Amino acid sequence: MTPQDITKLIVRVSMKDRAAFDALYRETSAKLFGVCLRILRDRGEAEEALQEVYVKIWTKADRFAVSELSPISWLVAVARNHSIDVIRARRPAAVDIDQAVGVSDPSPDPEAAAALTSEGARVNTCLEELEKDRADAVRGAYLNGDSYAELAGRFGVPLNTMRTWLRRSLMKLKECLER
Amino acid sequence: MSLVDDIGPDAGGDDIVAAEYVLGVLPTQERATAARRIDADRGFAAMVDRWEVHFAPLAAGYAAVEAPASVKAAVDRRLFVDGSRRVAPDGGRPGLLSSLALWRGIAVAALAALALYVVLPLLAPRPAIQPPATLVASLAADGSDVRYLAVIEEPGDGIGLSHVSGLPPEGRAFELWVIAGEQPPVSLGVIPTGPAVRMVVGTDIREKIAAGAVFAISLEPPGGSPTGQPTGAVVAAGDLRKI
Repeated sequence: MTPQDITKLIVRVSMKDRAAFDALYRETSAKLFGVCLRILRDRGEAEEALQEVYVKIWTKADRFAVSELSPISWLVAVARNHSIDVIRARRPAAVDIDQAVGVSDPSPDPEAAAALTSEGARVNTCLEELEKDRADAVRGAYLNGDSYAELAGRFGVPLNTMRTWLRRSLMKLKECLER
Repeated sequence: MSLVDDIGPDAGGDDIVAAEYVLGVLPTQERATAARRIDADRGFAAMVDRWEVHFAPLAAGYAAVEAPASVKAAVDRRLFVDGSRRVAPDGGRPGLLSSLALWRGIAVAALAALALYVVLPLLAPRPAIQPPATLVASLAADGSDVRYLAVIEEPGDGIGLSHVSGLPPEGRAFELWVIAGEQPPVSLGVIPTGPAVRMVVGTDIREKIAAGAVFAISLEPPGGSPTGQPTGAVVAAGDLRKI
């Protein structure tokens, strides 16, 4: 299915076309379930999140029209943002560090996975201009929904240092992306 | 060292907060504040959208994983069958559950009052026979004025429908569906117009009509859904009970 096809489905869903909603679910639910699963790391929670995500897609499909995102990226953004909301609610920031320290990342190397499938994307070129561990922090945060506290735990630095690092990385990234 | 190396944690302004929001690293409170700003501040919303676009290629790192069929069934139940949820804008739970309880309560009261009124005429042709078991459903939904009372005699091949209120818009028809458990809706046909009508169904479909199944009415083109599945809004629904 082409991005144009998915765009048409989203537009029809915004007009409450149920057949379009069924087709959109068939075409996109595996990708969005992958997003929920990766971030929530719990099958039951991911299934519940996927339900919420498609309820949101049904009720908020009209918002797609005002976004500059490609259709699948818009759907991924809905799934990512919902999943991140869920983990932030589940693990308050205060206990993040304790939980994150010593917990290894069960997911495959995000850098390798991303580089493999999205070669040539501008964001990857720009991430390569950062030091490797900074670029890994940005990719890891995006894919896993890591909080500052979790990143600080993983990199073994105080939370404020982590935030300063990442913000600098984001400003460099912005400089490169808008170059 | 470039200029951007020489900054503190608060430099970068709104655009970097937007990037942090998109990455998902913000602590709970700050994330909630940023989310509210997206709704209220179009400039900030545009920054967030631009960062979503920048980072979108990284999503290639997410592997696709087939979700169990129960998820779609649950989504459909929430959006299309349970009328009290269907009309809620954002899916807030407690209010919805209580309104579900409320309409169930109303439905039971309506059943008590209406069942007698509808069942008696249906049974009239054979008054001497012992009354058979009967299934009833009160069909209604929040935000809709469509109300029907459905009565099914067991054994039998007919569904008695008493039209209580609400009409389809010009050029649309009411189509009746039965949903048994997790299965997709099965059409029972377009509801004929009239204050009290009878619809006849085949034996294979008749088997799906049992206590606990759900009846739903959707808005469809005059000849019924072209796809075999509901395509329009569900305007009334209710579960079947034995009386």
